[in-house]
Amino acid sequence: MPGWHDATAKLEAAGKLQTVGIIQEQHPNRARLFMQWKRMDWPILVDSLDLLEVAVVPITLLVDEHGVVRKVSAKPGDLTDFLARDFEPPAGTASDGEHREIAKKSPPVKLSELLPPEGLSGAELAAAWRTHARALFRWGGLGKLDATVEAFEKAVELEPDDGATRFQLGVALRRRYDSPSRREGDFQGAVDQWTRALDLDPNQYIWRRRVQQYGPRLAKPYPFYDWVDQARDEIRARGETPVELAAEPGGAEIASPAKDFNVVADLAEPDSGGRILRDERGFIRVESTVVPGAVRAGDPARLHFAFRPNAAILAHWNNEAEDLEVWLEPPPGWEVDQRLVTIANPPELVSQETRTVEVEVRSPKSASGSFTVPAYALYYVCEDVKGTCLYRRQDFSVELRVE
Amino acid sequence: MRVTTLLFAASAVLGSAASAEARPHPFVAGEPLPELTLPAAENGQPRSLSELRGRKMVLHVFASW
Repeated sequence: MPGWHDATAKLEAAGKLQTVGIIQEQHPNRARLFMQWKRMDWPILVDSLDLLEVAVVPITLLVDEHGVVRKVSAKPGDLTDFLARDFEPPAGTASDGEHREIAKKSPPVKLSELLPPEGLSGAELAAAWRTHARALFRWGGLGKLDATVEAFEKAVELEPDDGATRFQLGVALRRRYDSPSRREGDFQGAVDQWTRALDLDPNQYIWRRRVQQYGPRLAKPYPFYDWVDQARDEIRARGETPVELAAEPGGAEIASPAKDFNVVADLAEPDSGGRILRDERGFIRVESTVVPGAVRAGDPARLHFAFRPNAAILAHWNNEAEDLEVWLEPPPGWEVDQRLVTIANPPELVSQETRTVEVEVRSPKSASGSFTVPAYALYYVCEDVKGTCLYRRQDFSVELRVE
Repeated sequence: MRVTTLLFAASAVLGSAASAEARPHPFVAGEPLPELTLPAAENGQPRSLSELRGRKMVLHVFASW
């Protein structure tokens, strides 16, 4: 696009042309940060659900003043002819029932009016729930995420082989995972829906990219968000404030593609005798997610662990003592890139942030069925800001499915 | 002759396989843009593709990754 921007900036300023972008990304603010970095100021529309049913990006279109596509896969060199021509308005409007239906379901329509009418069943009812869910996702805000997820789930239940709706349910689940109304299992639920959608249509690259974004390094076609740090540095150097991101890119998303499975040399197990007392009160909640949802024999999977202080009992990290350590015990024949992961404490004395750990495992080529990876975490946690602080261990495990 | 026939048969099979694939995008030269209303990244406000008519447009469908 920077090449395009050079060609179009003056034409836009002269009112001869407009430039618009559409993104399918899960996190729209990352595209805004990218635009700020590249000094591109044209409007961006967000289609995280991929309602346009685009299976590849990028695509650049030239669209005439009547809204008719004149060139698909356009190049900057096509602009001169395009601008010189006067296009006739179309005789009729192409019918596209689904898109027309979606277009209607936008504000100022009241979202409650979009609930499926009584008396529908089967495919009609599935379509009605789908339309309702899509409208809720786009226009309902974070407060409607539960209703959005429920509506998508109803549509999927009625039509379990509808890959697009499964993908969209996954997008809604991951959005809820990134929101204050997060429920345990939302991220895994999203990954499982995306994985299933991809099984149904392996040629849908937008869906494939969503799994790869959070998946193993070996499966990445390119680094996803490695540019974020550089963009922020350069934006700050210009004296501007970078666009804030709602969700910081995690380890999987800022990892360059790796051609090898790099195993970090084994370190000593931190509590081999199991003598550290267990976190029986549940000061820290652990959530595990496996990407992809099912792994092929011999392929890697990325494990995401989130450690959250239990807000209900005012738990928080004690940062004056040991760092958070996570130890994994892979099944025989399995590789793991890091058996011991240490997350350094932040400088403040106490904190309540979510701490995330990501590791990659690879199954033996002969593996099939379900496997359990036992793991444990060691941490210093306090009952309250002035309460007792304790060094505790929590055992947990991850289930892996090999197909 | 035999080779020609085989090639013809092979291309007919390939052609039908290609046409059975899902389209990679919904855009067709000579057809209007699909009608769709999406939130603007900047403020979440609805923008419909049809309201962008009136001026020639370069439309990038892209990702920042």
